[in-house]
Amino acid sequence: MKSRKMLFFWLIILAIIFVSTAFSSFLAPYEPNSMDMNSIYAAPSGDHLLGTDQLGRDVLSRLLVGGKVTLLIAVVSVVISTIIGFIFGGISGYFGGVLDIVMMRLLEAFLTIPSLVIVLAFQAIMRGSVWNMAVIMGLTGWFVTARIVRSEFMRLKDSEFVHMAVMFRTPMWKILFGHLLRNSFPAIFVVTLFNFAGAIFTEVSLSFLGIGVPPATPSWGTMLYSAQTDLLVGAWWIGLFPGLIIFFTILCLQFIGEALKKQGGERSHA
Amino acid sequence: MIAKWIGKRVIMGTIVLIVVSFLSFFILHAAPGDPAAAYYGGNLQTLTTAEKERIAQAFGLDKPVLAQYAIWLREAITGNLGYSAKEGRAVSTILLEKLPNTLQLVGITLMILAIISTWFGLLAGMKEGSLLDRGLSIFSIASSAVPSFWLGILLMMIFSVQLGWFPSSGMSDVRGGGGIADRLHHIFLPVAVLVLSHVGIFARFLQDCVKSESKSYYVQVARANGVAEQEIRKNILRNAFIPYVNYVGVTIPSFFGGSIVVESLFGWSGLGQLLVKSVMVKDFPLLMGGVLIIGVVVVVSLFIIDVLMVVINPKLRRGVLRC
Repeated sequence: MKSRKMLFFWLIILAIIFVSTAFSSFLAPYEPNSMDMNSIYAAPSGDHLLGTDQLGRDVLSRLLVGGKVTLLIAVVSVVISTIIGFIFGGISGYFGGVLDIVMMRLLEAFLTIPSLVIVLAFQAIMRGSVWNMAVIMGLTGWFVTARIVRSEFMRLKDSEFVHMAVMFRTPMWKILFGHLLRNSFPAIFVVTLFNFAGAIFTEVSLSFLGIGVPPATPSWGTMLYSAQTDLLVGAWWIGLFPGLIIFFTILCLQFIGEALKKQGGERSHA
Repeated sequence: MIAKWIGKRVIMGTIVLIVVSFLSFFILHAAPGDPAAAYYGGNLQTLTTAEKERIAQAFGLDKPVLAQYAIWLREAITGNLGYSAKEGRAVSTILLEKLPNTLQLVGITLMILAIISTWFGLLAGMKEGSLLDRGLSIFSIASSAVPSFWLGILLMMIFSVQLGWFPSSGMSDVRGGGGIADRLHHIFLPVAVLVLSHVGIFARFLQDCVKSESKSYYVQVARANGVAEQEIRKNILRNAFIPYVNYVGVTIPSFFGGSIVVESLFGWSGLGQLLVKSVMVKDFPLLMGGVLIIGVVVVVSLFIIDVLMVVINPKLRRGVLRC
């Protein structure tokens, strides 16, 4: 019961972050790119709740608008990676045999290469817009999902209801999407949550290094990228707040994922 | 049995290397720009079509992609990785310069990480429900939510800018002379970041292993028979260690990923920084070499972990394979 309350607590915080970034254009007190040369490096105050940066831009506004970019990239990449992971893992798990062995060895090889290195390599070749980055991360982020889908399908395909469905000549796509997908949904959902957190990390890290989102686009990563120099002049608020919001977003996702995993585990043990 | 297991691992490593080599070759192949144009520069416009064809032939650019890959692979195996587009030096020379630095960083991190996480993991796992037990669980989730570079910035602010205890970037002082003490002084903060961002998860994994092992049947029987608590503890540890070492092995790739961020932040001149720089200046031969060598290093370190597994896990040695 207590864990359920905690789950709602984290869900609500996550929802607040999502909604406020989604409606950032209404909520942001200032235009995120408008510079105010009279208040450069203004510390947090009533005028600028989270202070301003080196060009006098409002940190809170940029945080809200930047969140939209970061979360959008994460959402798009996770949608792509989940679809690919589902197809790859589904084929491997459902058909089994030699195909499964080959696909799994390949998957293990992909999982062995540091994912940041793969994304980096692709970034080098087709760096460009926000969308490019989302697609690259989607194309390179499906490995874990595929493995989970495969193990779920392996587990489910021998269950009685699938045998029954096959016996009644249920079309294959109905078995795959209707039965197997629906029953493995909880597990896929949890891994997607963790993937989502991972995608935020990747975007933020690459943008921080200056090789992610174009530096002019406000995102949580690019804000920290430009905050590096600000910290040295003592403007701690420019680096602190983007970091904090990333921290809380990931924290929400982690706690929700953990709670769901625990619940799913309890159900399957019962 | 053990030969079969090692054989399987070698095959796995080979597959990884092939995939990495494809990826590296792909970088070079898909890189924008005409290789011939890069070689001949502005003179290319003055060449006739026939001459261009001859150039393509000389470079092997007219061959199918797979044949080009075969040629590239043959050269790469013999150590010829081409030349850096910006520096003009051989890629292999540059990589061999940077590799020890990254290995130092990751190696020291792993050692410290193993010691600290073992210590806390065991303590927390042994006392289920204690403050340490619950605290570690929360700490591990919280620490995995902190971006490593942000942690790095915070540490830099505190220990370099405010306190001035550790340098914020570079590998040695100009005045320091570059001895071991100087190197350790510089490596402290990068290692601290890598350790802090992994120690929670590692300790928690061991903690979970210890907990589940403590509940197993043989422990109950031993306890019922009045076996000394010290002896029971020793057995729990030995069994809990096996999945833990395996887990460390699985996470090794992520250290090389993490070192990309940390090296760039602290100006640690290793492979990670090299990768980022080569992406920035679009030095594709160098990028390709960097990806390739990280793949090789990961495969080799996984193999070391595998050997370690055989040493600590008698089940593998005696051929009782569960996996």
